[in-house]
Amino acid sequence: MSVTLLDIVWAAVGAVALVTAVSILGVSLVWLERKFLGRLQGRPGPNRVGPFGLLQPVADGIKLLWKEDVSPGPSAKVLFYVAPLLVFVPSFVVWLTIPFTRDLALRNLDTSVFFFVAFSTLSIVGVLLAGWSAASKYSVLGGFRAAAQLVSYEIPLIVIAITMVALAGSMSFVDIVEAQRTVPYIALVPLAAVLFFIAGLAEIGRTPFDIYLAESEVVGGPLVEYSGAHWAVFYLAEYGNTFLVGALTALLFLGGWSWPFGTLPAPAAVALFLTKSYFVTVLIFWVRGTYPRLRIDQMMSLGWKILIPLSFVTLVTVVVQRFYGWPSWTLTLMSLATLALAAWLQTRLQGAPARALAEKYRRDAVVVQAKPRLHREAPAAAKVEASS
Amino acid sequence: MTTTDQRQVDMMLNLGPQHPATHGVFRMLLTLDGERIVDMEPHIGYLHRGSEKLCENESYGQIVTLFDRMDYIANLNNELVFVRAVERLMGLEVPERAQFIRVLLCELNRVASHLLFLGTYGLDVGAMTPVMYTFRERERIQNIFESVTGARLMHNYIRIGGIKEDVPSDFTARVRAALEFVKRGVDETDRLLSFNEVFLLRTKGVGVIDAKTAVSCGLTGPNLRASGVPYDVRKDNPYEVYPYLTFKVPVGERGDCWDRYYMRVLECHESISMIEQCLDLLPDGPTMTQTRRIARPPKGEVYVHAENPRGDIGVFLVSDGSDKPYRLKVRPPSFCNLVALRPMLLNSYVADSIAILGSIDIVLGEVDR
Amino acid sequence: MIAGLKGFLTTIRWVFKRPVTANYPEEHLPVQPRYMGFPALLWDTTADEPFCTGCMVCVRECPTQCMSARMHDNPNFAAGTSHRRKIIEHFEINYNRCILCGICVDVCAFDAIEMTHEHELASYARNGARADLPILLSQGRRWMERSGWRPRNPEKNVAGVALAKRAPATAATKLDTGSGKAPSREDDA
Ligand code: SF4
Ligand code: SF4
Repeated sequence: MSVTLLDIVWAAVGAVALVTAVSILGVSLVWLERKFLGRLQGRPGPNRVGPFGLLQPVADGIKLLWKEDVSPGPSAKVLFYVAPLLVFVPSFVVWLTIPFTRDLALRNLDTSVFFFVAFSTLSIVGVLLAGWSAASKYSVLGGFRAAAQLVSYEIPLIVIAITMVALAGSMSFVDIVEAQRTVPYIALVPLAAVLFFIAGLAEIGRTPFDIYLAESEVVGGPLVEYSGAHWAVFYLAEYGNTFLVGALTALLFLGGWSWPFGTLPAPAAVALFLTKSYFVTVLIFWVRGTYPRLRIDQMMSLGWKILIPLSFVTLVTVVVQRFYGWPSWTLTLMSLATLALAAWLQTRLQGAPARALAEKYRRDAVVVQAKPRLHREAPAAAKVEASS
Repeated sequence: MTTTDQRQVDMMLNLGPQHPATHGVFRMLLTLDGERIVDMEPHIGYLHRGSEKLCENESYGQIVTLFDRMDYIANLNNELVFVRAVERLMGLEVPERAQFIRVLLCELNRVASHLLFLGTYGLDVGAMTPVMYTFRERERIQNIFESVTGARLMHNYIRIGGIKEDVPSDFTARVRAALEFVKRGVDETDRLLSFNEVFLLRTKGVGVIDAKTAVSCGLTGPNLRASGVPYDVRKDNPYEVYPYLTFKVPVGERGDCWDRYYMRVLECHESISMIEQCLDLLPDGPTMTQTRRIARPPKGEVYVHAENPRGDIGVFLVSDGSDKPYRLKVRPPSFCNLVALRPMLLNSYVADSIAILGSIDIVLGEVDR
Repeated sequence: MIAGLKGFLTTIRWVFKRPVTANYPEEHLPVQPRYMGFPALLWDTTADEPFCTGCMVCVRECPTQCMSARMHDNPNFAAGTSHRRKIIEHFEINYNRCILCGICVDVCAFDAIEMTHEHELASYARNGARADLPILLSQGRRWMERSGWRPRNPEKNVAGVALAKRAPATAATKLDTGSGKAPSREDDA
């Protein structure tokens, strides 16, 4: 197979188109997040630039590009400036194999899930480098947090992806989506969907897992020293990743473009897929508007003690179910049972004691009884101090 | 260097004064072993304005404005304690209506202050929504303050011998209406934050301080009560018209961040009930004692303390008989509560340092004065 | 997890409500009648001169020393149209330093100064917020029109009334001087 000039041109055109498309999606998320968070909090959100503030991200972008690009004196300059690219590139390369519909993908690999897994892990390097090279203690802390977090949450993410591969019997996103024509996988394995969503949140560093960015602790973590365009690149990558999690959830669990309408004309299919992806990203923002942030050790134990075992449980149940050919509702049942068990345990071990304690405090407060008020006549002429 | 030596190299982290979560300009010099805090050194004074010294050069009437600016979240409570000190020294009898209005406004201010705490504490542990909700309710209280005192923050309303002017005619109705909103707002924050799994994880068992240490650190206010010591100046040394009010003093038992947080939620409800009682009892009458225009307390000294939203505030006032105090010393609750920060912090995580600092609810204006 | 779900419901409810925030430059929330904006000097229409005699009490009592004042002999007193022997010649308030405490209003015995609702006075120049006598008086006049301000103590302070009391023959009958009681500011605005 020889590569002609035309191939190269097409590849370039495709890459530019992809970067543009993903950037636009990412930028749209910036607006969506701010608007949605604003409304969640009883604020109007951005409303100055353009109708409904739609051009706000553009204004932000222009501002960022105009800003001076500073780097700390003792930073490792090369690494400092390479790091954003190391974050940015993988987050965009992953999109190569994400199909928007059956035929609309840059490369319809048969092993697209594998490709996604392989490339999504890469950005850790960039984040770690960014943290280390900036020569700031906050960013070092943030960088190490990021490394720990991203590495450990890769595992449940990948295991769940493998589960879905096992369920569909194919490593291609297209096949996985087509397999959900009648029943989306979220109905079969709700637990897996929840786990994937949580692990995805952690992967992209969103509340409650924005531990390595935590403004109130490490002040933006690895990004603390970045400014201007370099920071914008991180920002764009972050939103690209956010949308990626939305898109993946839509592909793996919500039936992408095929459920519930079956085969649709391409524009409608893309629209359906994008709607689902946006829905999931709104969910991500909703979580951000509701939850506080975990602590690093708690997040690690959540990952290693809960998410990873549960994801393996899911994998095993799916494999067993497939192997023995049990009806699919058994899978739903098992999945829901595990989910319910986890919820029950949480309530039992954490929520209920806290409520009991609160009730106790409310009940056992020290009561101070009022003295009956002596009914003095309101002093008509209050005591007059001799003035001199 | 041996391996053990290498382990000994701890990282010093300068948290503050420009850090977004240190509630102003507090600076902690943390010594970290990984994410664990092995040592902490607080640095204060970035907001030092010399208020106490300044007071020696201002007449008594002007000092009220300085007290506004110490604990700028609970201005009226601050004004009240200073004014009471002067009144005690001068032996002034304050009309009952004025006293009721003072207590009412102070309790309103306590609710406003606690609302601010609930919101910012959410921010400290990473929840960004509660602060918006609590500010909304706080805004209603601020509106009442504005309609009564003419200012939203720096009121200069409680004067020596009474209050500046009587409350407006629609005061009662407005307060009652606002209280409805505030109650709902507190409940909303309660629902959103108090029992949230992540919030419980972040605050339960974090920054524990037992009653004995708490007392020896000089902790007061909700922070002390969270450790299980039922000490409240309103209860133990009642002033103004607090004796005529029925209220509960919530007491915790664990002394962790969650208890400190929840004490404030409960206190909001108590304060609301106290405000309602004040409204019911509000007598008619004058609101100002007839005094000389310029207060000249007789020679002498006095110590007056009161329950601020942040704890036990004390004012020690020495008068030499002139129109300016000879010496004025404040026992600021935030400053004294900060003493307990170190025992709470040691051996916790970096992230906890913010949660713990937030749970003490300091106001830097008062710490540094 | 139940608490978390409750939290979700709490936050989503607000998406369907009207935002609480006001769009500031377009939409100004009303200030309360008692709101204390920057102080301004008032104008005695009966004598066509300021109320302020330049007695310096407010200057002395201001906690931030942001005012300065100078008085001179009142030409109107010589002409017999005013009871004020002295009148303000130069008055300046540095609004940058004013803390809106209202002490100047409390101590002024001549009803000459009042807290207005002026509050949006940001300026670019460092000294741009210094208000001299003409500015203060024009703000005061605006305030008198807006709020229907009445002097608290007209017998003493309003030139027309004070003169009329001294020499009833020249009674300024057309003067509306109010009840003489301090007006409650709730009726204002
Ligand atoms: S405003 Fe009043 S107190 Fe101030 S100088 Fe004028 S008359 Fe005197
Ligand atoms: S309001 Fe207060 S600070 Fe402002 S000029 Fe009057 S006395 Fe001075």
